[in-house]
Amino acid sequence: MLDSRISRRSLLAGAVGTSALLTLPRPAFPAVKKGTSLRLWILKTYVEPTNKAIEASAQRWAQKNGASVTVEYFTFEDMQTKYVAAIESNSTPDIGQLETSAPARFAGMGQSWNRTADGYGVMQSLMYSHGVSWAGKDGKYKSIKTAAMQKVMKWATDIYKDGVQPADTLTWTGSGNNENFIAKNIAQTSNGPSITFALENALAKATDAKDRKAKEEALANHVALPHPAGPDGRRMWAIAMSFGIFKTSKDPEAAMSLIAHLLSPEETVAVMKDSYGQFGPVLDKARAASKDYFNKNDNYRTFGRAAEWFAPTGWPGPTTAAAAEVQASNVLTDAPAKVIVDKWSVDQAIEWEDKKIKEIYDTLRG
Amino acid sequence: MALPHTVGIPAVRARASLWRRARTRETTTALLFLLPLFVLVVALIVYPVYRAVWLSLTDKLVGYPERFVGLRNYAYLAQDDTFHAVIRNSLVFTVGSVGLKVVTGVLMALVLNNVIRGRNFLRGLFLLPWITSTVIIALTWRWMFDAFPGRGFFNSVLLDAGLLRRPIAFMATPEGAMMAVIVANWWRGFPFFGVSFLAGLASIPRELYEAASVDGASSWRRFWHVTLPGLKHVMIVTTLLSFILTINDFNIVYVMTRGGPGTATQIFATYSYQVAFGQLRWGRGVTICLFVVPILVLGIVMISRYLLRDRK
Repeated sequence: MLDSRISRRSLLAGAVGTSALLTLPRPAFPAVKKGTSLRLWILKTYVEPTNKAIEASAQRWAQKNGASVTVEYFTFEDMQTKYVAAIESNSTPDIGQLETSAPARFAGMGQSWNRTADGYGVMQSLMYSHGVSWAGKDGKYKSIKTAAMQKVMKWATDIYKDGVQPADTLTWTGSGNNENFIAKNIAQTSNGPSITFALENALAKATDAKDRKAKEEALANHVALPHPAGPDGRRMWAIAMSFGIFKTSKDPEAAMSLIAHLLSPEETVAVMKDSYGQFGPVLDKARAASKDYFNKNDNYRTFGRAAEWFAPTGWPGPTTAAAAEVQASNVLTDAPAKVIVDKWSVDQAIEWEDKKIKEIYDTLRG
Repeated sequence: MALPHTVGIPAVRARASLWRRARTRETTTALLFLLPLFVLVVALIVYPVYRAVWLSLTDKLVGYPERFVGLRNYAYLAQDDTFHAVIRNSLVFTVGSVGLKVVTGVLMALVLNNVIRGRNFLRGLFLLPWITSTVIIALTWRWMFDAFPGRGFFNSVLLDAGLLRRPIAFMATPEGAMMAVIVANWWRGFPFFGVSFLAGLASIPRELYEAASVDGASSWRRFWHVTLPGLKHVMIVTTLLSFILTINDFNIVYVMTRGGPGTATQIFATYSYQVAFGQLRWGRGVTICLFVVPILVLGIVMISRYLLRDRK
């Protein structure tokens, strides 16, 4: 990880490596030099307390080691541009939180095959749960022109018939589904626990008994569901946020020490408790330590199980650069849009999608 | 006769030498004065253009060194169906927006030109769209075209007026989504046209209108034969500027549709962004942007020649 080239391609592989590494018995890290200064980039999520909790955790490490940590944020929107600019200008931070594949979200009507993670994440879950993958175990291209893919495409496009699905969801951007859910225009939406956070937060801020009652009802009446399962099980797309140490770091040992601190069971659980279920535990010890927290109610039990259902982009093989690019190219959602908007046949759309995926695998180097 | 001539040679030579030295000094001074501009032009124009052209000839991926691949990126895009759609969309978006801006700009200028009281206030009012943040404009228009009654302005009005039974999903069809982004772009840009045309109107001599009136020209004929020719140069320059800005526009489409539904509103800038920053293929992303350069250069050359011919 320390010497990997830092692009999304290697970060994807590297980030998984970091997670795996930390499930092993913790190695003895070298002592951190007094006065060490680190830059840490983390994701600014929709759940504000989570951001503060991670920042506080990093500061605890700094205090313990006589070091300093400067925390900077990126959002889902500017994650790619910020990292790309930093990589190309050699101004990467010491540690960056990285998206291994995509955000953890949950499904429902109001399901958009739009050009954001709300669309392609669910589409990937559908495909994988039907046993359809564009790569084999060896990480090499595999055709998706199968009967199972026809079934997926048919379902994905049928929900746009007969007014089941609000037609203009295809152009919703990242916030469209949230806005319409809040406005009670849709019964379900593809989203993460940020809705739970909003409802719990609203309840906490309720001003009088009547307001409190209404907010209690709203909280009790919402349900978080995992992405739909298919004939091949439930293989859910979710974010796997990982920490990576950049090649340009002046003190990689200190950076490793900070990551170990952030991912220790006690710190993980502390952050998790402030995240309203948004951060689910992945590592064994943290999972064990957070068991009670995720047993709070059915919604939290669903959030807690996200890691169990998680299938990384590139399944059943590794998360390769090409697999990640398939997701980033929006081809997964552009294909059903061809059927819904351009009136292509299901087979035509699959043929087109397969050709685009193959082209990515054929032309990618690195 | 020979003596003065012989005597004169050193003097002439000395004069020539002085003149040469003075010229060298002048040239050096001139070059020194030009140097900052030269550095700026090289640093801000020549180098970025050279770098962009070079990147388009490589398979540059973010985080990796570039490798020369010749015209492979251009060849790929030439047969890429998504890119074909991008060219079509960009032209429709640009021509549609600019066309609307010209028409409404002329109307705005004519109205303001004939208003005596409150002209400055109205001018400021009309300029509001131009000074408002593009993201706010895009979000506002996105909501106005929304299909949900009570949320989408147009649908709410039409439903309340009993003109519709079911809301129209403007953003669900390629045509509707394209119309929405064109309208948003038009609304943001028309004040620039209006103000420019208003300045152009002020420079048309009153005598021309008076002469035309004396000759019995109707108001339409006065507009056609006096106003329009008088505005011609301003119109060409503003249209050209707006064409360049609009064909390179990013914000409105990105905020309103992300290029959807499908690829129906994907334009040069948004597609280039997706390829360069989403897929991390910088070489190809830059090539997408460079495709538009010949179109713009051609337009600029044609218009410049036209303007110069007119001046001659």
